[in-house]
Amino acid sequence: MTLVESATLVGIIVAVITVTMLHVAYAVYFERKVVAHMQARLGPMRVGPHGLLQPIADGVKLFFKEDLIPSTADKSIYFIAPVITAFAALASLAVVPFTDSFAIAHINIGLLYILALSSLGAYGVILGGWSSNSKYAFLGSLRSAAQVISYEIAMGLSLIGVVLLAGSTDLATIVRAQSELPFIVPQFIGFFVFLMAAIAETNRLPFDLPEAETELVAGYFTEYTGFRFSLFFVGEYAGMFVMSALATVCFLGGWHGPDFWIFAMVPPVVWFMLKVYALIFFYFWIRATLPRYRYDQLMGLGWKVFIPLALVNVAITGLLKAL
Amino acid sequence: MFDANLKEPDPGAEGSRRREEPTGLAKLLRLVSLGEILRGLSLTMKHFFTPSVTRQYPTEKREPFAGARGLHALVRDATGEPACVGCCLCAAMCPSECIHIYTSDGENHEKILDRYEIDTLRCVFCGFCVEACPYGAVVMSDHYEYSGYTREEFYYTKDRLLDNWDRYFGGEKGQDYLDRFWRPRREDIGEARRSAMKVEGDDE
Repeated sequence: MTLVESATLVGIIVAVITVTMLHVAYAVYFERKVVAHMQARLGPMRVGPHGLLQPIADGVKLFFKEDLIPSTADKSIYFIAPVITAFAALASLAVVPFTDSFAIAHINIGLLYILALSSLGAYGVILGGWSSNSKYAFLGSLRSAAQVISYEIAMGLSLIGVVLLAGSTDLATIVRAQSELPFIVPQFIGFFVFLMAAIAETNRLPFDLPEAETELVAGYFTEYTGFRFSLFFVGEYAGMFVMSALATVCFLGGWHGPDFWIFAMVPPVVWFMLKVYALIFFYFWIRATLPRYRYDQLMGLGWKVFIPLALVNVAITGLLKAL
Repeated sequence: MFDANLKEPDPGAEGSRRREEPTGLAKLLRLVSLGEILRGLSLTMKHFFTPSVTRQYPTEKREPFAGARGLHALVRDATGEPACVGCCLCAAMCPSECIHIYTSDGENHEKILDRYEIDTLRCVFCGFCVEACPYGAVVMSDHYEYSGYTREEFYYTKDRLLDNWDRYFGGEKGQDYLDRFWRPRREDIGEARRSAMKVEGDDE
């Protein structure tokens, strides 16, 4: 690799991470606004017009907050845990194909890579809760471990159908296979299971048991403050972006848009982002609607509904493919 | 706008034919059919498009309700002195015991009001002091926006309470407010005894 090529690559990486960080900041704003309006409130209004500068103010505040470390914490693990979560979520972006030609890394196991990193992100959560040496954080991380293991299976299985149809685990190839028909049509069961599993994987409501404010203070990041805390936040919102991007790539046809009238003139990356943000809006919508599931309901739903559903979906897809 | 959706079902009618919890396949079907969840989603989406009920307080102020009980004031009589005679009925009636009155004997054994103080941080704004006063000497304005950094700022002495009278009952609006809701009893003493508060049918 020449010097110019490496410099370009670094530039692209910095650009993508910057955009993602801005996305994280404004996704929080977007979420607060959406949830507020669904509850007949206004949400942030005071910092800048319609509260548009609120994320900046929040960021500055988090940056200058005191970094408290519990005296009984396991220091080295405590320090590394939020980094793992944020790293796993940001590293997943490397293989997301924003357009036909633009992805930081073209690798042929992109799907497996994202699934692996999303499991790795759970290590940050578990280690963070463990090393805090606090009962609430510990309970949160235990729940997270159980939840992520259960829903990872459903998520993996729901994507098998897509892999069978596209015949590849390369994300760009999967999108190209959907130029005629997005996979949401033949794989609607898979899409449904994936969406639910993605909500559980990213610890979002109604499956946010690891951080359940009402019972566990803040769950696994109870003891974290300031910038370490915000790294967990980055992990959560970037994870949401990655999961939505994965759903877009695997089920909604990625960068493809309708191919007629003025729709054909819209650049592919706009289609991609539109789909991603529609899914993120769906996340917020679900959050504003549903209360948190009870722990046994969550487990029951994962093992007794989503995994069998995903298995049935794989069997049907396989049969149809073989015929 | 809420009652159409949040109306409680009639407990008598619903309780008698309560459905059995479905089991097996029926339960699975109910879980995956998502009927309830879709109804919830449509409700939140409907509220997403209805205007919000928030009032943006410092920029968007609400007029206090007619007869609202806010900051206290001591009534000045025609001579400019407080109308209070120091009988301590208001202090006796006060449930939070936040009125402190100190009197002394004058030359001709008349009562002299030395101090009349209200600790508004303890006050519950029940208005009993106003009702108790036989001379209508203490009233409440509709002013509610007072804040400060020290406790002393909320401790209203006689002079400050008289100042409140000038400030909130001085103009035409204040006089109107006083007449409608806190008419001093001394004007009524010659007439039949009526309540100090004339509320019903009076405020429109």
